[in-house]
Amino acid sequence: MTVEQEHGLETLEINVNVGPQHPATHGVFRMVLTVDGERVVDLVPHIGYLHRGAEKLSENLDYRQAIGLQDRTEYLAAFNAELCYVMAVEKLAGLEVPERAEYIRVILAELNRITSHYMFMGAFATDIGVFGTAFTYGFREREYIQDLFEEVSGDRMMYAYFRPGGVAWDVPDNFKERVRWVCRQTRVGISDIDSLLTSNEVFVTRTRGIGAISPQQAIDYGLSGPVLRACGLRVDLRREEPYSIYDRFDFDVPTGEHGDSFDRYRVRLEEMRQSVRIVEQAVDQMPDSGPILPEKLPRRLRCPPGEVYMRAENPRGEYGIYLVSKGGDKPYRLKIRSPSYCNLMALKEMTVGHYVADAVVILGSIDIVLGEVDR
Amino acid sequence: MSPEEPQEAPAVPPPPGSVADVFAAVLPDVKFQAAQGALDVILTVDRGDVVRVLRAARDDPRLDFKYLRCLSGVDHMEHGLEVVYNLYSYTHKHNVTIKTRLPQDDARLPSATSIWRGADWHEREAAEMFGIFFEGHPNLVPLLLPEDMTDHHPLRKDNPLAEIEVWQAERAGLAAAEAGEAEE
Repeated sequence: MTVEQEHGLETLEINVNVGPQHPATHGVFRMVLTVDGERVVDLVPHIGYLHRGAEKLSENLDYRQAIGLQDRTEYLAAFNAELCYVMAVEKLAGLEVPERAEYIRVILAELNRITSHYMFMGAFATDIGVFGTAFTYGFREREYIQDLFEEVSGDRMMYAYFRPGGVAWDVPDNFKERVRWVCRQTRVGISDIDSLLTSNEVFVTRTRGIGAISPQQAIDYGLSGPVLRACGLRVDLRREEPYSIYDRFDFDVPTGEHGDSFDRYRVRLEEMRQSVRIVEQAVDQMPDSGPILPEKLPRRLRCPPGEVYMRAENPRGEYGIYLVSKGGDKPYRLKIRSPSYCNLMALKEMTVGHYVADAVVILGSIDIVLGEVDR
Repeated sequence: MSPEEPQEAPAVPPPPGSVADVFAAVLPDVKFQAAQGALDVILTVDRGDVVRVLRAARDDPRLDFKYLRCLSGVDHMEHGLEVVYNLYSYTHKHNVTIKTRLPQDDARLPSATSIWRGADWHEREAAEMFGIFFEGHPNLVPLLLPEDMTDHHPLRKDNPLAEIEVWQAERAGLAAAEAGEAEE
């Protein structure tokens, strides 16, 4: 019997609106919580505040121009999003990618996974109240990699560097040394974050057992990525259906046990270590010289009629591009299956029953990017 | 340059022993049009059979498609609207794409939310973007678009980009006029 019932007190359910402008929503996300005292009894998410119509715009741009929209959709892991898109176009157009370009793309995509997870570590720890330290560390480390991205592509976020068939231009001469240096830095950075958070009492108490979801429910909701692997399912598209050259690398697929916020954090932390392993192997195997684009590439890229659903393992889960071509130089239809959009569907399931203060932790643990949720 | 005529892909039959044969064995009375896509086998079914096919795809142990990867709408203009389901099985590790066509003026389809809860937002998106009505969906309200934008379906091909901008300008002008009246 609760205190309220014992003293004949009645509680009243109230609605609490969070967002769209709120520091804990990682962008412009709004959720309406119904709370009974401190407990959340209902949650209604509202999205669409950042909807820019990327799918419609892509139908009016040619295949190469639409690459820029992928950057703006998934802006924290733009290389990964670009990779999925250009692979979809390559599948339809039947383009062969030169060896060297494949390695450049995998190295950049895996480094981008690390920067994305650094961003998660910093923002998530701030959500929880381990304020400042982890954020500063995460961002300092992220900056080393970000500098490398800028040297390669000329931009810090909107790279537009991958092309159907390869990459836009060759990497700088010192690329391999720079990547090796970045890998050494990242190994140190990951252990810094690990020692800051994994055994931090505040962090563990606030995340363990919070926002847990069962494997059956996770599959029913179509979750993917670290959120799904935290439930104990060893599912990684780089392993299940190896795309690009991922079948050449030796890496583990980390999983959790309880599917809670803490396991999601731990899976991501371990994934960063595995990404470093992949990058190190890729740098060793990468040819020193060679073409980066196919020899015969038409000025105006056309895809024969057909369709493909291309999927890739992005930092947040399965990124899918459903591309329909009816001939011509523009996509007829392009649907972006964005991972955090699908993962966000389960937010209510994860949150109901927890304290209102934990709603922010659970939202943070899904690691949403609003650009990609709203597209 | 004049806009090119849209072309349809030539239908390549799937290789023997593919998932199309399993579907045919599980549901012998359903008419499947099977084709091999760039990655997955594509099965086209009549809209009356969609729910049966999807339910069998999830529940039959030979198929076991527990994961709805993606659900998309496609506007084929005079050839109707298309709803596309991309499925994956964790146990058999096979993929399939299931499609169905709906006429433009009667775009109704039973909802798949009772089969996979993950279909929820995908269907809401297809509903607002293409004007497809998913029967039995628990909450078919606009998701990404403004609540009042129910008369335009932006991803339909009869809504070119410019027209949406005109529509937005009209609404902005209307709102400005209303605000002006209120001030007076």
